[in-house]
Amino acid sequence: MGSEDPARELKAQLQATPPKGVAALSDDELSDLTEAIRDARHRQAAELQVAGEKAFGHIPRLLRGPIRKVMGAAR
Amino acid sequence: MTRARSEKARPDAERAASASQELRSRAEVAKLARLLGRDPGELEYLEQVAPDDLATLREQTTEMLFAAHDATFKRLATSSKLLPTGLVSMLAQHAFGPVLSARIAGLLDPRRAVDIAAKLPVDFLADIAVELDPRRASDVIAGMPPEHVLKVTRVLVARGEYVTMGRFVGHLGDGARDAAITDLDDATLLRTAFVLEDRDRIDALAELVGEDRIASLAEVAEREQLWPEALDLLTNLDHKRVADGLGRMDPEDRELVELRAREQGVELPTVAA
Repeated sequence: MGSEDPARELKAQLQATPPKGVAALSDDELSDLTEAIRDARHRQAAELQVAGEKAFGHIPRLLRGPIRKVMGAAR
Repeated sequence: MTRARSEKARPDAERAASASQELRSRAEVAKLARLLGRDPGELEYLEQVAPDDLATLREQTTEMLFAAHDATFKRLATSSKLLPTGLVSMLAQHAFGPVLSARIAGLLDPRRAVDIAAKLPVDFLADIAVELDPRRASDVIAGMPPEHVLKVTRVLVARGEYVTMGRFVGHLGDGARDAAITDLDDATLLRTAFVLEDRDRIDALAELVGEDRIASLAEVAEREQLWPEALDLLTNLDHKRVADGLGRMDPEDRELVELRAREQGVELPTVAA
């Protein structure tokens, strides 16, 4: 499923060494798990982006400046 | 006095232990699937992995997801201090949704978070509960008033969210925990106790199961095929209480419990003749 070393891919996605029982899965299973974890991270990033934009629409104009300031580095 | 476990029961015991591990692994896969936004069926291959390893994998995944956007979550929590709690609760519902709200909850001042929660509809709170990592929001959970916890618990029971409840029990305040557990029906109690996140906390839950409830737990275990769950809980109860509870049962019902225990390879306290 694409990766040459699925176990290393999983470790890279997790940024941690997976437990032995997980590392013993087949290459296909490891690749699927890695993809699921990667998808979850990407989905979280996309949801944060959309939520941030939506939230600004609900905040009173007067408060948008100070909020932007706090959020500044992230936006 | 008779021993409930015999040499002959060993093969059954091994089979039962394996069945119990499988049930636990399945519960762990359900938790991980939720975290990953996948259907548990898609991760079925993980059911062959030991539950402790799956729990570690879930914790690693949770860590990674929090670390990936840690700075943003913190800024969101900080900026929410500038807004009134009513507006924050509105943003939680209409902008952030349950997943992101659950990620941010543990970064808020616990008292303020409890105030915000009080302004949220119970169904939405239940949605957040499902997504929350209770260890990261323990102070918020502990600060929730019992009546509010009870309402959320009822929604979770209606949705069959035993796994979520099992994750929360150890973090509830004493009053909230007692109110919630007392309110659970027997089948829900068994299913929840079995998937309890912090197994050490089973004592706290077991404390609330009186000997009078043991007979009804056995009845529901037989009716709904919940013997692994029932025996798991019974072996964690005070032995004297279990013996008293068994002693109060009809001999026929008691024999059934002892038979099921033998089948599962579980040794129950003996009943004084």
